[in-house]
Amino acid sequence: MLAGISILCFAASYSVALALEVSRLLFRSRLRGALLLGFVGAGLLAHTLFLAHRAATGGATPLSSEFDWYLVAAWVLAATYLYLTIYHSGAAIGLFILPLVLALVAVAEFFASQTPFAQNRASQVWGAIHGVFLMLATVAVLVGFVAGVMYLLQARRLKHKQLPAQGLRLPNLEWLQQLNTRAIVVSAIMLLAGFFSGVILNLVNQRREIDHFPWTDPVVWTSGLLLAWLVGAAMFGVAYRPARQGRKVAYLTVATFLFLVLAIGLRLLLPSKHTPDRPITAQIKSAQVSFPLAAPRPGGLG
Amino acid sequence: MKFQMSGCSHHTAPVDVRGRLAFDPQQARQALSALRKRFPGAEAVVLSTCNRVEIYTAADTPATMPSHQQVAEFLADFHGLRLTDIFEDLFERTGEDVVRHLFHVAASLDSMVVGEPHIVAQIKQAYDISCERESNGPLTNQVFQAALRVAKRVANETSLNEKRVSIPSIAVADFATQIFERFDDKRVLVIGAGEMADETLRYLVDEGARRVVVLNRNFAKAEQLAAQWNGEAAPWTRLEQCLTEADLVVSTTAAGEPIVTRAAFDRIEVARYQRPLFILDLAVPRDFDPAIGECLGVYLYSLDDLRAACDRNRQEREKQWPAALRIVDQETARFMADLNHRATGPIIKRLKQGWQQVKEDELRRLHNKLPDLSDPVRQEIDQSFDRLINKLLHPPLESLRDESEHGIPHALLEAFKRLFQLKD
Repeated sequence: MLAGISILCFAASYSVALALEVSRLLFRSRLRGALLLGFVGAGLLAHTLFLAHRAATGGATPLSSEFDWYLVAAWVLAATYLYLTIYHSGAAIGLFILPLVLALVAVAEFFASQTPFAQNRASQVWGAIHGVFLMLATVAVLVGFVAGVMYLLQARRLKHKQLPAQGLRLPNLEWLQQLNTRAIVVSAIMLLAGFFSGVILNLVNQRREIDHFPWTDPVVWTSGLLLAWLVGAAMFGVAYRPARQGRKVAYLTVATFLFLVLAIGLRLLLPSKHTPDRPITAQIKSAQVSFPLAAPRPGGLG
Repeated sequence: MKFQMSGCSHHTAPVDVRGRLAFDPQQARQALSALRKRFPGAEAVVLSTCNRVEIYTAADTPATMPSHQQVAEFLADFHGLRLTDIFEDLFERTGEDVVRHLFHVAASLDSMVVGEPHIVAQIKQAYDISCERESNGPLTNQVFQAALRVAKRVANETSLNEKRVSIPSIAVADFATQIFERFDDKRVLVIGAGEMADETLRYLVDEGARRVVVLNRNFAKAEQLAAQWNGEAAPWTRLEQCLTEADLVVSTTAAGEPIVTRAAFDRIEVARYQRPLFILDLAVPRDFDPAIGECLGVYLYSLDDLRAACDRNRQEREKQWPAALRIVDQETARFMADLNHRATGPIIKRLKQGWQQVKEDELRRLHNKLPDLSDPVRQEIDQSFDRLINKLLHPPLESLRDESEHGIPHALLEAFKRLFQLKD
């Protein structure tokens, strides 16, 4: 039964949940809250089973390909959305998070035809650490971006003395600011850990004379830029107290997201050794086909 | 069966008359006992709120029901007033109008502030007191329980009571809670000790505010208000320091010009490091220079801003009015149909008993004539007779139910009695 679960199952569930979130703007409904939780819960369950089945049948870590990496990031973001929706049940958080979840699934789909990382590389400890931390940093940046946008909208509404619009209730500024600050700190720490674990991985590969990356690889320097920006933003907040307040934090998280989009864009456009170059069969879209993780190939994690 | 309501409300009587006729819970208990004694055949419930004093009575027969005049005399006697002084301020409702009126009241459609939620609790309390004094009965039970259901339905199916319409409640519930996650760690600064400050503080304390500082030119007044809310009073000279430390400011002084100018606030802003500040300037003229609202992290609301929000909410409530009225009308019709149908109960019961008797007699005769029938065959015959009776009774009972929707079907009941020779 698990083999029949495809990307379409959970993408459809998340899409219906997004449609329900949009319907908040149009009409009131007592059933919507339960339906939302039901669809997101069902999507998350299908998503979990899909990833678990791939890991079990492929015999590798869930981050052993870019396809999996983006799907796991989408899973973490969807789980975060579920938690936030329960915490702030009346707020339209899904209007902002669910498009990002679907975008991550779409990017994963874009990479679906590419070969996974070789098992002897993907299963390396440093490789796994590198992948996990970068994935968590990405999710933290996305959560920060969502909190930042909501903060700016809420602050604008309150500055203009407007009552909450029908269906567009947002969390309060204090909570959004806390979420923003935490997102910046968490993403900086995760990216730092991800970046340095990647450096160590590359050095280990160099020493073992396995294929390694040049330091000029676009993914390396865009990640370095993003890290520098985040560390700079965090340091700025420590040194300049007003930078820890309100809109400044929100602007920082939005700018960080733009850096992330730039990094992902360059990742897609420029030739990089991070990008696997040998396509595999398209059946990867469905977990019912075993994933040829054993095939050796050059390159490394994320 | 008959319902009646006599009393006064904010539509018919000025506040001083309502005040003189009002019952506190203890007086309501005494009044119910006195009503029971004076009108032993009638059920009674006394509803007394700031905006209305209404005595609901009900009885099975008109003979035992007190008239409007008698209830008015009771009200005057109970409060030691002359009937002529209050009679013009009273109004009455009878029959279906009582049900509709009570549903209106419960749904908060008849309140001074339409949609205010306290009325449901007040109706429940009035009903509970009547139960406690045993002045209730089957009719008042039905109508009051139905009223509480109607109130719930209107609250669930419309947003009539979601939008706030008082300035302090909007300031706190629609704006302050959108800025702050919690209030127990926030410093609330109250400048001036007016009535509006007091009311706003009540909402803030309900939200969890604990750290209140009151600043007033008259220090004694500041101390008085601070003591009332477990806060601290501060001298006027500490205004800038208090503003630097505050998260939320409620300002209600009677000063002729702004007490905080933009230039003065610039100094405060530097010391605050742009920490969010919510300022409720409820003074006329304003206490804070409007330019302060342009500062980063400052959310400055004047009385006019909040009044505009109140008006928008009031308009939103008005949009819900037709939907709420539809619910009240539907529920009134349903309640009256049920009530009328219940009035036909004794006739239906006698009709069913009569036919049941005929069925049993015939079955007994048949079983005596055919003693060798097996048990399954006997059961089959019994069930056949039951089905026959039910099918024969269905059309007349259906006609009775349909007629009950328009009132007690006296003519049809009379016809039933004569056709089927049903005796009282």
